[in-house]
Amino acid sequence: MTKVHHYQSILAAAALSLMAGTACAQNVLPANLRINGKSVWEAFEPQRQVLQKSSAVIYIDGRSRLMKIYGTVVSEDGYVLTKASEIEGASELTMRIDGDLYTEVKVIGTDARWDVTMLKVEPEQPLVPVVFDESDEVKQGSWVISNGSTTRSSRRVKVGILSANTREITPPSGGVMLGVILAEEEEKGLQIKEITPKSGAEKSGLKKDDIIQSISGKEITDREDLLKVLKDKEAGEKIAVEILRDGKKKKLSVELTARPKGPERMSRNDQMSGGALSLSKRRNDFPRVLHHDTPLIKDRVGGPLLNLDGVCIGMNIARASRVATFAIPASDLVEIMAEMKE
Amino acid sequence: MRVSVFFNQLMIIIGGFERRGSLSPLSHVKMMSYTSPHSQYSQKHKILVKTRLLSLLASFVLAPLLSAQEFPFNEAKSPATKDDLLSIQKALMESSEHARKATVSIAIGEGFGSGVIVSSEGLILTAAHVTAGVEKELTVIMNDGTRLKAVSMGLISNTDAAMMRITEEGEYPYVEMNKENDYKLGHWVFALGHSGGFDKSRGPVLRLGRIVKDSETTVHTDCKVIGGDSGGPLFDMKGRLIAIHSRVSRTMEENMHVPMREYVRHWESMKTNEFVGDGPFAQRPVKGTGFIGIGTKDSEDGLLVEKTGKDSPAQKAGIEEGDILLSINNKEITGKEGFKSMLKEMSEGDKVELKILRKGEEKTVKLTLAAR
Repeated sequence: MTKVHHYQSILAAAALSLMAGTACAQNVLPANLRINGKSVWEAFEPQRQVLQKSSAVIYIDGRSRLMKIYGTVVSEDGYVLTKASEIEGASELTMRIDGDLYTEVKVIGTDARWDVTMLKVEPEQPLVPVVFDESDEVKQGSWVISNGSTTRSSRRVKVGILSANTREITPPSGGVMLGVILAEEEEKGLQIKEITPKSGAEKSGLKKDDIIQSISGKEITDREDLLKVLKDKEAGEKIAVEILRDGKKKKLSVELTARPKGPERMSRNDQMSGGALSLSKRRNDFPRVLHHDTPLIKDRVGGPLLNLDGVCIGMNIARASRVATFAIPASDLVEIMAEMKE
Repeated sequence: MRVSVFFNQLMIIIGGFERRGSLSPLSHVKMMSYTSPHSQYSQKHKILVKTRLLSLLASFVLAPLLSAQEFPFNEAKSPATKDDLLSIQKALMESSEHARKATVSIAIGEGFGSGVIVSSEGLILTAAHVTAGVEKELTVIMNDGTRLKAVSMGLISNTDAAMMRITEEGEYPYVEMNKENDYKLGHWVFALGHSGGFDKSRGPVLRLGRIVKDSETTVHTDCKVIGGDSGGPLFDMKGRLIAIHSRVSRTMEENMHVPMREYVRHWESMKTNEFVGDGPFAQRPVKGTGFIGIGTKDSEDGLLVEKTGKDSPAQKAGIEEGDILLSINNKEITGKEGFKSMLKEMSEGDKVELKILRKGEEKTVKLTLAAR
């Protein structure tokens, strides 16, 4: 037995282990009976038929073979919504709706705030758009149905439930900053070497060579003190900074700004979720989302999110983690559409 | 039973990780290959569910004979119609509403997990790798953001079960435990937990799934759980607690929970703050790792404090130069060597009560040993 390594912070310890699995058929629920097993999917045939007609399979490979993302058919005359960041820069867009392939796809517009692009095809026969439920009354625990995998001729479902409160997803914060670069030497105290342009520090009138004395009444003697004071503050907050300039004490009010965030690091929870292969590149910074537990992967979003009545309550917009998929609520989608059509 | 030779990665699901350790593969072979009678699909069951009609009919006929918690959808192999789906949805909505109120987030140091309240006074069940020790101070966060002081009680380190309690007086929302373990393979269940840590605007996260596999100390479901859910509750469709989230493998289908029978079996040990087993989910404190921060000298009056370390537990507790140390946890201190060997038996995080003599007056000082 290998020794269990022991670390000083037991709580923070994450245990990764190798597990020898055993498979003994009669003691395990067969795969087809699991929540996303074939037998359970059969109960969702009416909703699947809606996806068959009202979802689009979007390709960017020029040969209509490898699907990139799904789309949501929103009008009889060929308007389709999809996730903008997944088709960004694609030069050869093609699309399949039901059994029909469309090789001419126009980009109408993009709403960067919601990560939604509107596309247009020219159908010979009227398409069957989704029916929106704009009531915003989806209760937690409601079944929700999304596009799962697909073949050329038929769409399949993936199912889940609404899991949590509908809400805004804020961008990850890199913390706040004062907007100053400090001198290496700390003998005289924390002396400012440089002011970041357009920062709160610049606007407040802080200058090079000022020596920081205190912030919000707390004495600041080293960098650690400064970091501690800033740790729980939010961007936009104003703090009182006391400085020493030419031997005289002076008090200034400085507005904190958000620190630009570096490239996103995959956390341990992200790895548990399948990492970059499964998670959407853009999975936060949405004004409002429905949160459900359907295990989609990143290229299965973009399609409609249906309730048991086959009515569209949203459009899947991101695979966020092992336990969460986000969808733009129908009421917001209707507004986004109206703005883009103008 | 044949043990197939595929390897899989298994992870403990608690948020805020910084360090990693490896668990023994052997412990899991043992765990995974155990079979309990609960996991068998009974012959009677198979016949009942041959057709949906028959199963519905059968469940009506048998209804008075079966226990009150049976749902027709649990007796059917899989849902077949919209009505079947609606009845699952109805049970889920009804039962999860109260269950959500009793689901809490747990913060300890930089880490976080989940737990569930099982008594009105605030007894909480969680995972051993969340509390990671007995008699530790933790913070419980209710769904409205209220933070409450709590303390860890006993734990079962080899199966990942633990108990703790809120130390602030109050009447708390709590759930009923399903102590009969009357669930079967294929039964519908739901999970709650604070995935990734507390988020007030999001609330606890609800997930639906089925019992996929069952063994004596681990129940598997396809309710997906993740870091931060650790210690959170798994419920049957009546809203009764059946297990606590413990760990996952990389596949979405392997989400593991510790069943109630393990908690029931060790109830008294957990209530009396016992540390049971030798890991891997929690490690016993290592003796000699406790730090108090006092420099002492034998004197005529007893063991004299010469100095206290800056920011040491001793200094923070108010021990001063010139104090005489009389006893530690009611054991008399006889001299410097004796004091040293007493400390050697203690570990980081241990609570210490010191009796001291200051200017002829006896005082009691309480402190917690820091890490050496």
